[in-house]
Amino acid sequence: MSGPARAPSGEETIPFTFDGTTYHARPGDTLAAALLANGVGLVARSFKYHRPRGIMSAGIEEPNALVTVGKGGRTEPNTRATDVFVYPGMVAMSQNRWPSLSFDIASIFGLAAPALGAGFYYKTFFGPAKHWMLYEGFIRRAAGLGNAPTEPDPDNFSQRAGFCDVLVVGSGPAGLKAALEAAEAGKRVMLVEQDAVPGGSLLRDPDPAIDPAAMVERIKALGGEVLLRTTASGYWDHNFLTLTQRLVEPGAVPPHGFAQRLWHVRAGRVVLATGLIERPVPFANNDHPGVMLSQAVRSYVRRWGVLPGKRVVVATNNDDAYLTAQALVEAGAEVVALLDARASGPAAPAGVSVHYDARPSSVTGRKHALRNVTAVIGGSEQSFEADLIAVSGGFVPVSHLHMQAGGKLVWNEEAQAFIPGETPQMCETIGSALSPPPAPAVAPAGKAKKSFVDFQNDVSLADIDLAWQEGYRSVEHLKRYTTLGMATDQGKTSNMVALSRLAEKQGVTVPQAGLTTFRPPFTPVTMGLLAGAGARNAGAHVRRIPLHVLHKAHDPIWQPLGYWFRPRAYPVDGESLAQAALREARTVRTVAGLSDVSTLGKFEVSGPDAAALLELVCATTVGKLAVGRGRYTFMLREDGFVSDDGTVWRLAENRYLLTSSTGGADRMAHHISYVRNSLRPDLKCSVVNVQEHYAGIALAGPRARSILSALIGAEPPRHMGYVPGVLAGVPVHVLAASYSGERAFEIHVEASHAAAVWKAIEAATRAEGGAPYGLEAMELLRIEKGHVVVGGEVDGRSTPQDLGLGGMLNKAGGFIGAAGLTRPALALPDRNNLVGLVSLDGPIPEGGMLIQRAGQSPQGHVTAAARRILEGGAIALALLEGGHKRHGEEMIVSSPTRGEKARVRVTSPHFYDPAGERYRD
Amino acid sequence: MTDPTSITVIPAAPLHALEIWANPQAVATRVQKALGFALPVMGRSAANGAITLMRFEPNVWLAEGDVSVLADTLGDDGALTGIGGGVVRFRIAGPGWRELLLEGGVFDTSAAALPAGATAATVIDHVGVRLHVESDDACVVYVPSSYAQSLHHFWDAALPLLGA
Amino acid sequence: MYQITCPHCGPRAQTEFTYERTTDSVVDPAADAHTAMQALYTRANPMGLDEEIWRHTYGCRAWMVLTRHRVTHVIEAVKAIGPEALA
Repeated sequence: MSGPARAPSGEETIPFTFDGTTYHARPGDTLAAALLANGVGLVARSFKYHRPRGIMSAGIEEPNALVTVGKGGRTEPNTRATDVFVYPGMVAMSQNRWPSLSFDIASIFGLAAPALGAGFYYKTFFGPAKHWMLYEGFIRRAAGLGNAPTEPDPDNFSQRAGFCDVLVVGSGPAGLKAALEAAEAGKRVMLVEQDAVPGGSLLRDPDPAIDPAAMVERIKALGGEVLLRTTASGYWDHNFLTLTQRLVEPGAVPPHGFAQRLWHVRAGRVVLATGLIERPVPFANNDHPGVMLSQAVRSYVRRWGVLPGKRVVVATNNDDAYLTAQALVEAGAEVVALLDARASGPAAPAGVSVHYDARPSSVTGRKHALRNVTAVIGGSEQSFEADLIAVSGGFVPVSHLHMQAGGKLVWNEEAQAFIPGETPQMCETIGSALSPPPAPAVAPAGKAKKSFVDFQNDVSLADIDLAWQEGYRSVEHLKRYTTLGMATDQGKTSNMVALSRLAEKQGVTVPQAGLTTFRPPFTPVTMGLLAGAGARNAGAHVRRIPLHVLHKAHDPIWQPLGYWFRPRAYPVDGESLAQAALREARTVRTVAGLSDVSTLGKFEVSGPDAAALLELVCATTVGKLAVGRGRYTFMLREDGFVSDDGTVWRLAENRYLLTSSTGGADRMAHHISYVRNSLRPDLKCSVVNVQEHYAGIALAGPRARSILSALIGAEPPRHMGYVPGVLAGVPVHVLAASYSGERAFEIHVEASHAAAVWKAIEAATRAEGGAPYGLEAMELLRIEKGHVVVGGEVDGRSTPQDLGLGGMLNKAGGFIGAAGLTRPALALPDRNNLVGLVSLDGPIPEGGMLIQRAGQSPQGHVTAAARRILEGGAIALALLEGGHKRHGEEMIVSSPTRGEKARVRVTSPHFYDPAGERYRD
Repeated sequence: MTDPTSITVIPAAPLHALEIWANPQAVATRVQKALGFALPVMGRSAANGAITLMRFEPNVWLAEGDVSVLADTLGDDGALTGIGGGVVRFRIAGPGWRELLLEGGVFDTSAAALPAGATAATVIDHVGVRLHVESDDACVVYVPSSYAQSLHHFWDAALPLLGA
Repeated sequence: MYQITCPHCGPRAQTEFTYERTTDSVVDPAADAHTAMQALYTRANPMGLDEEIWRHTYGCRAWMVLTRHRVTHVIEAVKAIGPEALA
């Protein structure tokens, strides 16, 4: 027997499955360690050519051994087998193979490799688009990673803020020491380790003088926070880092309901003790199971007691791999040859034959291991029977976070590596990342075509050569043309190998060839983690209106409106939305209805300069309002366009209430604050956002006045008047304003007491034959009345004149937007003006284009379509070029996207009671 | 075993925004005379038996309780405006309240940064909230009413995470 | 995410703040149309330090001017503005 194995010791107690076969792991095993221990060397198929792949590393840099872990909604594809710890019942599957891992039909792509090289997509898909469509489906199925889960993820994701004086990334010897020193100096310390146990390189090369577990205990005892299974994945401005923490392993059921946590950490100082990643060595078939990084081999032997092979060739250009030979010998493996590319090396373990000037050139293999290693030694080839080759092409300092922080790199010729240099942030790198062992450049031996560089994206030395040959000179172009370094591993093992090849082709040094950008995240992050709690509620909390429970009792159809949910209609007896809305609107027109308008923007403005502030914000006059009176108003942006509208009421000598649209409420709050604090800090006034303080109830209809009169025991105010009152024992503001076109009131009441007021009004209204109405009926009512809505007719491109509001402008000027409004282009006659449309045949498609004949460019568009509430017949509001002067014209509304059309006549937008007689008693 | 961390809704109380726009020293003197304590500085609270003043803004204090004694102290230099209808008060008490408020947060709730008597306005899971530390064992969180139920649910879900 | 030292609250996360505009794009309500449009549409946009108006919207709600480097994102100074700055 040869190939990977572990001596059974009776500790294999954790059952798990891989591709349906049950195996057993030891506590502390990664999936990779457990698979090797069970003799499984073949674990994946490559992305493009479906070549058999094994386990190359023992860490997060793994490019080959990507697996899918978990079931159902917890399924996590593309997880590195080296970065997941086995738990009881874990279900793991290989990816990108059909029908099975060991017999994969698409591996014939490997035979077609010459046709699938660099720039394959660019070269192949010339010709008609329909061919592309045909290829695409096939290619997408064939090339790829794991499948995304189709079920919703049942788990939660936590996002948490963290603060510390010192954040240490990496718990190897340097990181442990730095964290402990900082903790002992009284600093608030966070120590972050992506592994499940602290120690870093100590887990591979133990040092009896350092006890990681004891140091971690000491750091914790001093108040430090030690986060295991946590990766510092992003380094942002002002020493802000994002950490991704596994609260449970991928696919496992979390006891507290949370699978992962995203930390947002602000650190006083950051210490990067991120260590080194080993460089692979390019040679023919260097991607076969049984080709493994030297330090990874040592990790499997020392940390997990797994022998990845029994007859091993070690190939290196540095001293570190000699330690691997030593570990293998100690574990009982046979090191058949140590190939050192240099002319000399340190002492080798007894019994190991060392060959200098020796480079591997190719390997042949079997399913789970190698068969043969061929090397060029001196000038001649020599073959070794071996099941494993442990390779080391030198080391790459992990400088990702340093670079994300804006740092510089310094080239170290001896180690052929970039070392972290200066950084603009409060950040330093320590430990082995600063001093990679000397490792000279070595020219690859073996055929370039099958010498892989980027294992995950199937990029070989030949692809880099081809890109060069085809004129791709910059490293950025090389990257995009070959897809090198663009896989989920972001080129952790491949970038330096490729860069060396490019530099060699260019005849320049590696630093001259340049580097691509290091971007977050350091290792892949699941989308759910970034979404956090937002994954549950479409990204934001739903805002609940104060009378939610009362409405819910009527089982309305709900309408999302920004973050709010409001009743859209209250269907009864199986009514459809349209039927319910029409009934509700007719009730308002003929009797009375009540509606919840609590979400309106509301601001209480008080103080001697309150009117002065309002005359700056509002484009209409405010100062002349008598106490107890109100008026419609609108606000402009500085460029002269209408931004919002509402009403303004003088509640008392020095106190006003300003209302504005629901959707614009937050924007208006910010705008008023800007005007008051930034533009006019001298004003003696106070602006308080009372949007949520007051619930608002609209009561509208011919009987509204009598209903309200009975409820407040007093004569309600005339149209646009205000009186304070008491309704159902609760103090209220009664504002006589109408959006519907009927005699109507808004009753504003402290939200915490609104239920009693709504109930009283509803009971009284129903007693008269009225009913509650929702947003859909409100839309029918306001369209018929010709009232504009912010976000509809007020679309950010309309002026007061466009909307027919020009006559209300404050003649004295002085308001925000007055100057912008004087621009000549805003007075041109062909601007889009608000008009009404009356259908001459069927319904008018909302959003449709206004044209005079087929084929003409649109002259306007429909902003809102409805029907006459009592009479029937389709009507709409529209914005039309020069529309004010085109009343009476016949046009066509065309909606190509809906395939609908209607003939219409242009009219005034006021379809209902244009003189406003229904407002008056 | 210590008591678990708890989240409770406190019954509504009168809440007013007290804004001063002119003559701050004179107003402060008048207010101190009326209340028996000085207007708290930024980030702090002060109280007598009837009213608590919390300063979250440079010119605005949150007044909790009976403000009738304040009305005559402001003159044309400031105003009181009711806001209590739009706020739900939560008391988060127990050993884990500081940790719980880090969930979805961006603000350091450690005892050093937020001691008893401190006030701070910040964001929790995208919702603007105001914190008032009653004691080392409890914090009152003022949440816009529209978000209260949703945030309550968010905290309830996060409770089992404390210490995890 | 920036850390902005609010003049009233101390160092806080950028999440709590909103950006308004640069100081050179403030439009005086009394300005004529030409001057107003110049301020709105022809800003200096320096590759270096700029003066920006921000608001601690989800904190103390106060306004301030940041002197911020537009390449390095270093915030060199924060100055309170608004009624409190007059007091």
